[in-house]
Amino acid sequence: MADEINRSSFLKWLVDPIESTNDVAKRAYRFVGNRRVWLVPLALGIALLTVSALGLVQSPEDFFFAYLAGWSFLLTTALGGLFFLIFNHITRASWSVVVNRINETLVWAFPLLLVLGVPLLFGMHDLYHWTHEALYDPSSPQYDEVLAGKRAYLNVPFWSVRIIVYFAAWTLLSYRLYTFSLRQDVDPDPELQKKLRSTSAWGLPLLAVTTAFASYDILMSTDPHWFSTIFGVYFFAGGTLCAVAVISLVTLLLQRTGGLLQNVVTPEHYHDLGKYLFGFVIFWAYIAFSQYMLYWYGGIPEETVWFQHRLRGGWAWHSAVLVLFHFLVPFLILLPQITKRSTVVMSIMSVWIIGMHWFDLHWIVLPVIRDGGGFHWLDITCWLGLTGIFAGALMYRLGRHPLVPQNHPYLGESLQFENM
Amino acid sequence: MPTLIQNLKARLGIFESDADQVYGLLAEFPDPGALLHAAEAVREDGYRHFDTHSPFPIHGMDEAMGLGNAVGVGFFTFGGGVTGFAAAYLLQWWTAAVDYPINISGKPFFAVEPSVPIMFELTVLFAAFGAVAGMLALNGLPRPYNPLFYSDRFRGASDDRFFLHVAASDGQFDVEDTAALLQRLGARHIELVKDDGSADV
Repeated sequence: MADEINRSSFLKWLVDPIESTNDVAKRAYRFVGNRRVWLVPLALGIALLTVSALGLVQSPEDFFFAYLAGWSFLLTTALGGLFFLIFNHITRASWSVVVNRINETLVWAFPLLLVLGVPLLFGMHDLYHWTHEALYDPSSPQYDEVLAGKRAYLNVPFWSVRIIVYFAAWTLLSYRLYTFSLRQDVDPDPELQKKLRSTSAWGLPLLAVTTAFASYDILMSTDPHWFSTIFGVYFFAGGTLCAVAVISLVTLLLQRTGGLLQNVVTPEHYHDLGKYLFGFVIFWAYIAFSQYMLYWYGGIPEETVWFQHRLRGGWAWHSAVLVLFHFLVPFLILLPQITKRSTVVMSIMSVWIIGMHWFDLHWIVLPVIRDGGGFHWLDITCWLGLTGIFAGALMYRLGRHPLVPQNHPYLGESLQFENM
Repeated sequence: MPTLIQNLKARLGIFESDADQVYGLLAEFPDPGALLHAAEAVREDGYRHFDTHSPFPIHGMDEAMGLGNAVGVGFFTFGGGVTGFAAAYLLQWWTAAVDYPINISGKPFFAVEPSVPIMFELTVLFAAFGAVAGMLALNGLPRPYNPLFYSDRFRGASDDRFFLHVAASDGQFDVEDTAALLQRLGARHIELVKDDGSADV
């Protein structure tokens, strides 16, 4: 059977839990490119991570923080894709059906990300200051009253349980959304559509809560004295923006280099993806500024310290770049209608936004250990190495299934979609 | 031939009467479909100064009339947004740092941070003003006087009737020829509307 569960090996299940369904794909939706092309980013990724391993010997602290920035880049993007898929199901969006499969291949990422996150466990001591035992010993000169007060939440066993719960929830949600949709390609049972929607309905609040807490545990706790209640929304805003950029970029690559999905994804769909990019560029800026302005106004040292790190020395340039190139320039470029309908502009903007999302996470993570701003070579190799492996797995999945959910009840509507 | 000004005004839906005070021919069509086809045929025949009137929007009419996309409104909106942004910046700076400076918890008299919400709100407000004003301007509205009001039948344009108006200012306009064309297109009723207050069948 085409839609059987992939049991051949754990590694294969990790990358794609369902056997190839290409034999049922309709001609227009079949992947006909080179099926081994996914090996290219995978090989590049492994090569770059091997190079990064040399850096691990040279400077472990730089390695772990660079790895955390690169890994969070992929995690937020996958979470953003999951949000995007869920709210498109819940709202019965029809325009997005033609790009749903591309989003679904992005979303089946959490088991692989969990495995790719294992190296971070060896760097817990470097990454998370709150893991140091001496902080909690009143007789030690390093005793920290504030962190001792947070110990009930910030301790290794509870942290580990939480991470496992988050990944279990995300894996469950993405498994259901991914496999129901693939089954639908083989069997147009209307029950599957109902299951996709009901999973999305209970999945949304679950995803919202787990994403917010994951942002506190994984990123915010690298600076454990600091806290921000809006941090989870910031994490979500950047991730969803990057996920839409990834969906646009993969679609454009399939069309322009693979010659696939011709007349399936049209400028009308790019126009809507562009509107989402535009909307989330503004939303990201809105949330980022909300976080900043309230702390500026309050002027309380324990709250402003995080921004102090990021507005002094070389990091001030990073902050300025974020305002200009994560918000102002993409905002002005994506403002007119014509740019969102142009595949050239959309290609450039997708790559741009993906790059800026990593830059944003680099700005969150690296000031914890570095004073002067700028980049270490490990920042780049860890990021691109992990992204190479992630992209290889994504392309592998993409080549094994129809490129469009071909039995989705709103597919016809999506193909006919017009903005004006 | 119509002058450039006349052509520009015609794009806003404002047509001038000719020397004999003839405003144009008003043809009534039985249903929206007939009006859509008539508009298409009149445009393909080379007419440019014409307009349609119906009680509700007809899907595809903009294309049939060759109106294209309303690009202009976006510039008015953008202009309004930039104006609001700059106005809010000046407002914040002048009120807080020049006209009535008050020291609040040691903060600077003027800073960009607390001004951003004001700048954001006024950008949105003025952009909306720009959009509405631009839409009205580009539609040639408000227009309290239109010679078509002299036609008694034209009242039905806001009820259940569908009209095509070919203006006398169009270079190709000729009372007999144009009337014959409209007749061929299935017009139910044709009248000649004049600027002096008369409308002849």
